[in-house]
Amino acid sequence: MAAKKTKRKPARPSKADLEFVAEAEEILERMREELADLADQRSSGREVDPDLVNGIFRSAHSLKGLAGLFGFEAMGKLAHHLEDVLDSLRLGRLSMDSPALNLLDESVELFSRLMQRLGKSNFESEAQSSVEELVARIEASLQQPAVSSDDFKTLDLDPSLLRALTEYEEHRLRENINRGRHLLLVDSTFEIVAFEEGLSELSGAIRELGEVVSTLPSPGEAPESQIRFSLLVASDLSCSEVTERLDFPDTNIRLVIAGTAEASKASHVAPETQDSSTPSPPVADAPVAKQPSVEESKADLSAGIESLKSISDTVRVDIRKLDELMNLVGELVIHRSSIAGIAERLAADSTTRRAAGELSKAQNSLGRKLKELQASVLDVRMVPLRQIFEKLSRVARRLQRDLGKTVNLKFDGVDTELDKLIAEKLVDPLMHVVRNSFDHGIESAEERAQIGKSAEGTIRIEAYQRGNHVVIQIEDDGRGIDPTLVRAKAESLGLVDRDAILTDKECLALIFAPGFSMRDEVSGTSGRGVGMDVVRSNLSDMGGIVDVTSKLGRGTTLTLTLPITLAIIQALLVGVGKQRFAIPLNSVLETLLIDCSEIQNSEEKEILNLRGEPLHLRRLSDEFGVTPSDEDRQYVVVLGLGELRIGLLVDRLEGQLDTVIKSIQGPIAQVRGIAGATEIGDRGAVLVIDVSSVIEDALRRRDAA
Amino acid sequence: MQRILIVEDSATMRSLLAATLEELGDDVKVTEAASGFEALRLLPREDYDLVVTDINMPDINGLELVSFVKRNEKYSSIPLIIVSTEGSERDRDKGLGLGADAYLVKPFEPETLREVARDLLSPSESKG
Amino acid sequence: MTVRDTGLSGSLDGETPEWERLARGASGYGVSEEEPEILRELLVFVLNDAPYAIAVERVREIIRLREITPMPRVPDCVVGVVALRGEIVQVVDGRMRLGLELTPPTRRSRIIILHGDDNRVTGIVVDAVDEVLRVSEHDIAPATTGHGGSVVELCKRGDEFVSIIDLDYVLDLDAN
Repeated sequence: MAAKKTKRKPARPSKADLEFVAEAEEILERMREELADLADQRSSGREVDPDLVNGIFRSAHSLKGLAGLFGFEAMGKLAHHLEDVLDSLRLGRLSMDSPALNLLDESVELFSRLMQRLGKSNFESEAQSSVEELVARIEASLQQPAVSSDDFKTLDLDPSLLRALTEYEEHRLRENINRGRHLLLVDSTFEIVAFEEGLSELSGAIRELGEVVSTLPSPGEAPESQIRFSLLVASDLSCSEVTERLDFPDTNIRLVIAGTAEASKASHVAPETQDSSTPSPPVADAPVAKQPSVEESKADLSAGIESLKSISDTVRVDIRKLDELMNLVGELVIHRSSIAGIAERLAADSTTRRAAGELSKAQNSLGRKLKELQASVLDVRMVPLRQIFEKLSRVARRLQRDLGKTVNLKFDGVDTELDKLIAEKLVDPLMHVVRNSFDHGIESAEERAQIGKSAEGTIRIEAYQRGNHVVIQIEDDGRGIDPTLVRAKAESLGLVDRDAILTDKECLALIFAPGFSMRDEVSGTSGRGVGMDVVRSNLSDMGGIVDVTSKLGRGTTLTLTLPITLAIIQALLVGVGKQRFAIPLNSVLETLLIDCSEIQNSEEKEILNLRGEPLHLRRLSDEFGVTPSDEDRQYVVVLGLGELRIGLLVDRLEGQLDTVIKSIQGPIAQVRGIAGATEIGDRGAVLVIDVSSVIEDALRRRDAA
Repeated sequence: MQRILIVEDSATMRSLLAATLEELGDDVKVTEAASGFEALRLLPREDYDLVVTDINMPDINGLELVSFVKRNEKYSSIPLIIVSTEGSERDRDKGLGLGADAYLVKPFEPETLREVARDLLSPSESKG
Repeated sequence: MTVRDTGLSGSLDGETPEWERLARGASGYGVSEEEPEILRELLVFVLNDAPYAIAVERVREIIRLREITPMPRVPDCVVGVVALRGEIVQVVDGRMRLGLELTPPTRRSRIIILHGDDNRVTGIVVDAVDEVLRVSEHDIAPATTGHGGSVVELCKRGDEFVSIIDLDYVLDLDAN
């Protein structure tokens, strides 16, 4: 080394010094966390995540650059050696053992200490001596690399890909081959203007199944607008298994090298799932702390629950285009309705009657074609629930590990199909429900043994189609929900009156009330439950409902009912006073014309005798504050959802139409009773009624009196 | 107007490279990309006269970027400078083998970078 | 092909005052910047004969009055929704919101369609739309009292003052 240069270090830290400290502190903090993760991985016996080591290496690299630029010689030297150790570790030249890790920890700590002394006089000379000692030890531990120049020529890979591999990537390639993994090449083409989203979804999905060794971009077939990425992937799964799981457009997957039959147990590869198979109980080789303290595991739950976003993300890419398509089809449908209306008006005039007839026929065939178009687009939008169920399995496995409970997750009806948009929105509520079942529903193995249940709890998720709806049932054989406890809790929260008389079923339904949350009183466990009111409002946003039944000690069943599709609906147009509203036809059971005298008044409630059964009535004018026309005769629109029924009183029926429900934009986010609005030809916006909330409110009003 | 694209994931290093190159002259415009992906997105948008890239970057590394640039008809004539750490001679050889025009080892004098850049930007130089 | 091995590999003791200079420059210390003159563009409209303004970036479009479908269970100043090429947008009456007198619509009445925050699009009914004003910060002063929070600044225009509206405050109508 040349003679020490005198650095002009003032007695107090300068502004520049402070800036250095700020940025360096950030890096050091990150490194400490990463080193802690590294130690965890090693101590649990798992394979150390190469990305983690790479990450720490790059932190050290930044630190070195930073120190050098600001002229802090000693610290720069320390950082430089720190970087060397990490480089050797990540390239496999140095083995990852305790001495190496200790050196890393020491270096980080020394760095930190030095920074605290920045700006003091004699800083540099003091720093030098502290650093020298550690540096000497580091140099001693670094062996000279014996670089084996492996020619990967034998691999069936495009030479340009091999040439662009950095030394690190070559090391990872060699590692993976040595561990007997399958080597695959995933080729995918994207639009240049928006490749990042698609590519990160793809790599995200691949990372679930293996390691991305390298990513090589190359010009696409249409280089102006496309770009191609070739991903070299190492996986324990075979090429066909990976191909099955990666469902992306414009993607080819081929095998480069087949791995050895016994794939090693890699930590980041998900074991296989089949429809109704039992996921194997937690693997015994890596004994994660059997009973983590409940508090910790609860905290981990929220952080650790794998976000199911990758399903949503995967779906969303297709959906944007599909949404546009659906919108277009929807607009076409509306325009056709306008044409039908015009044909009618023309038919009334004798001079145009013949032309009107032809117009009418033409728009009829148009209507049929549109229905076919609509059906095909809808068909493309349908996805089987299997993807969601697979994700739930993975989440369940992690829950099992974290909570120390063994639960058997069964699925029925994985092929049931749902609109992609709904499936995407279903992910979160389903996750909440399953988590609650795990958390509060299923008892621990000991508890279960004590009451004579099998040690393994079971959660069964069943999906099937019923008419226009899809039903998803989540049934567990856990401890069930005690209606008296729910009721007590609801009373304490002021949600229900002390004297109110409620059936057991009504008590259970209280768990969906806003502000209610499942806590210790209800199910005897501590910790947060996710509010069921959130689940219910999520579902209601999609036009769905949720129902709960439970047997104390035996288990709980949640039933979610969803419409198959959100997009185009048939609606009944009704009129009250000067206004019009649209009611989704799939909730309309029948319509009747009645005389006002038929309405029976009992205790301030209006009832109609419908074939011997009382039908509770609700005036739409009252519901929405609209002045009705004063007529002797009114229409009753009988609305039903599940088993609930009411009759909505309106002044006029104005016809049926196909339309698309749009959400209402503006400062008021939600209006109870309104699901959205639609545009009718050139006659402006019409509000669409949210049948489920109208029914609920009406029935609640009936019961409270 | 000479347009330079810098691809470097460390923010500090990036602003330093930018500052260095901006001193080349008033008609020099420097665009910064914080990752290989960003560079891929920025390349089509303007006609760059020079690209300066790091090797070790998170999404696609500098070598892959060089490979892409040189294999793409549209960009293959753009001169490319790789700046990287001294650790890997193999990476350096690969970089040059893939068609990079210059390879600078960090840390280097700012004036060195400018000299090399000037060379590559000068229209009278015939590129090999 | 040029390879420059600068001879500094592996060591950090090269004297690099220039890097320090660049480092300081890049971090913004000791660099004097010319302040470019900051201009704001405001859309000026009329409510009850008085001029008001909002930032032009928040304006998506301006449409003539059209049929407004009333909505139940909303504050009075939300007069309803309009259909806008397939989108359904809530409309607020600007005068009602600001507590001004209502006058019957004229052929100059308009609905200004705005970007609210959170990407919510909303419409505001106004009596007329005036002009787009480009002003520098010097012409703008904070308002002392203004319609209970809806007016945040005043802008000088000739002899008069234009009240600049705080859109986020005005559109914060969600009772929940």
